[in-house]
Amino acid sequence: MAAQQPLLEFQDVAKTYGQRIIFRHVNAALFSGSITLLAGDNGSGKSTLMRLAAGLTSPDMGRVSRRVPLARTGYMAHATFLYPGLEARENLLFWAKASGIAEPAKKVTEVLEITGLSRSAFEKAGVFSRGMAQRLNLARLLLSDPLLILLDEPATGLDVSSRTMLEEVVCSARKRGAAVLWISHNIKEDSRHADRLLVLNSHTLGEEELPSC
Amino acid sequence: MLHSKIAISALLGGLSLAICQWLVFAWAPEEKVMGLVQKIFYMHLPLAWWGLVSFATACAASLLCLIRHDRKYDLFSASAVETGMLFCTLTLVTGSIWGRHSWGVWWTWDPRLTTALILWFIYAGCMALRSIPMPEHRKASLCSVVTIVGFLDVPLVFLSARLWRSIHPSVFAANGGGLDMQMAVTAIACVAAFFFIWLSLLLIRYRQLLLSARLDSIIFEQLFKAEQEPAPKTKKLYASE
Amino acid sequence: MLTAAIAICKKDLLMVFTHGAGLAQALLLGLLLVFLFSLSLNAGDRLSPQAAAAMFWLASAFCQVLVFNMLYAAEEAEKARLGLLMLPAPVQSVWLGKAAAGMVILAAAQCVFIPAVFVFLGQKMGEFWTLSLAGILIGDLGMAASGSLLGALSVGQSGRESLLSIVLFPLLTPLLLSVVKLASFGLEADPMLENALRWIGLAVAFDSIFLGAGLVLFPFVYNGED
Repeated sequence: MAAQQPLLEFQDVAKTYGQRIIFRHVNAALFSGSITLLAGDNGSGKSTLMRLAAGLTSPDMGRVSRRVPLARTGYMAHATFLYPGLEARENLLFWAKASGIAEPAKKVTEVLEITGLSRSAFEKAGVFSRGMAQRLNLARLLLSDPLLILLDEPATGLDVSSRTMLEEVVCSARKRGAAVLWISHNIKEDSRHADRLLVLNSHTLGEEELPSC
Repeated sequence: MLHSKIAISALLGGLSLAICQWLVFAWAPEEKVMGLVQKIFYMHLPLAWWGLVSFATACAASLLCLIRHDRKYDLFSASAVETGMLFCTLTLVTGSIWGRHSWGVWWTWDPRLTTALILWFIYAGCMALRSIPMPEHRKASLCSVVTIVGFLDVPLVFLSARLWRSIHPSVFAANGGGLDMQMAVTAIACVAAFFFIWLSLLLIRYRQLLLSARLDSIIFEQLFKAEQEPAPKTKKLYASE
Repeated sequence: MLTAAIAICKKDLLMVFTHGAGLAQALLLGLLLVFLFSLSLNAGDRLSPQAAAAMFWLASAFCQVLVFNMLYAAEEAEKARLGLLMLPAPVQSVWLGKAAAGMVILAAAQCVFIPAVFVFLGQKMGEFWTLSLAGILIGDLGMAASGSLLGALSVGQSGRESLLSIVLFPLLTPLLLSVVKLASFGLEADPMLENALRWIGLAVAFDSIFLGAGLVLFPFVYNGED
């Protein structure tokens, strides 16, 4: 473990919004084959930390080092990143082609299969329920066989079967050696699968013990 | 620091403008054809000059803002755009009066006039963009981009308007047929005087914006502190019971 | 970069043409403009070629604003913008892809405006129509480059159509002057062609400035900051 390089590392990271400090002195490392839960109150900056990890915004101080190519980083937020006007399959084909994935059509069929959306492949994403849309979002994430998975409250509004599927997908990704950072509002439930718990509180990040279940 | 610079510049501006008034009305001869109205030229020329310089300054400040990610360059660019707009508006007004007298129309499709008007429109759009509520850093980069692109457009506007049609008097033309000595000296003195006026206005506005930004941050800190005070929370939020 | 740009362009065209998102609005607005301008004519009058050319390009400019607003709004419904930013390709590929898509849509719209100009504004094709065609090609390229750069700035703002038009139209002036002149050459029976090359040069200069500005400045307009 000691010799292993973390896939994602925060080194003394600080982020401000205008004049306001969101968090500072954030240090954390995510290793291959682990699931890390991230908790904190509303407005504590969980999503901002996610965006930093995804490289969508840059820190005001410190460094965020990602040792995974951007192409193998999967980011799933509350918003589904879908085009409501396009069919489910068209949505996935677009993301596959834009990311330069080899044999996009084959890969798309594969992920539709995994997420159980094969039968709805030719329906427009706009008519999907929240749960279906989030499954499609998960399918998009799987297109790139991500090594670093960033989940920003993905389970909100999902029914039991979709949740189970999400958990399965995440756990199998861990087996493959992916590092997962998972923002959760339901620590008790999600900690069954998790390895660590990080908490954003009073403008900095600390590690806490996982609640036993 | 900034405060004393403004004071010096404003003082110089006031003094030199006073001297210029004497030069304009007492020393420089009256133009034979145009008469007294020609005196407006001594205002029109410096206004147009420093208006353009102001937009160039804004463009440079915007470039710095994008490169260095520093809010103060954005504020400087904003002040330069506003000062430039003031000068540009006055250029258009004085130019219109001049045009009415010498060509009989308030407005004509002349390259310089048109360029000034298009500049005015471009930077009015930029100011409209600035007045829209959005996060500061996003606003800063958007306004910077528009300011830069707007200035890049200026030579094209000028060239295209010249190709369209032109009747502007070429004042300092290479053939030397333009102004007589006393008029030229007066014009140059006015350009110099207006430099100080322009600089003072620019710096005053810049200082205002800096102070207002600082005020905002102080208010924010106060609010933030007030928010922080009630009851330090129990340390472990999610520990098992 | 090209792979991503082509994918984005295809996706946008698919969305606009097969799923009919908002294209009709842009077309109708342009057509209405051309038609309403014909009200300025008395019975039997023929509009001067230059005025007709100006109308045509004004319709195109409004169409451009609507088209680029539409193209950039597509990403905002479900924040797909963040997904685009995370693609393993430079951000500029978004600019390029949207510009290409916008240019195709604009050209398609102009195919409708051209007959409208002949029908409603009573124009006849002249001998030098190739100049007009060159003007349309160069003009569309410039409109696509500038529209794609600035279309991104009004994303997520209320009143974004009007915001985009007040920022974009003054910048477009030199291009509009050039292409209006070029278009009028094609409609006139006996045009004065001595400046034609200079007009083309000016329009090409506009295109290159905005292509360059788009490549350099786009990342500042389109990013993950909200």
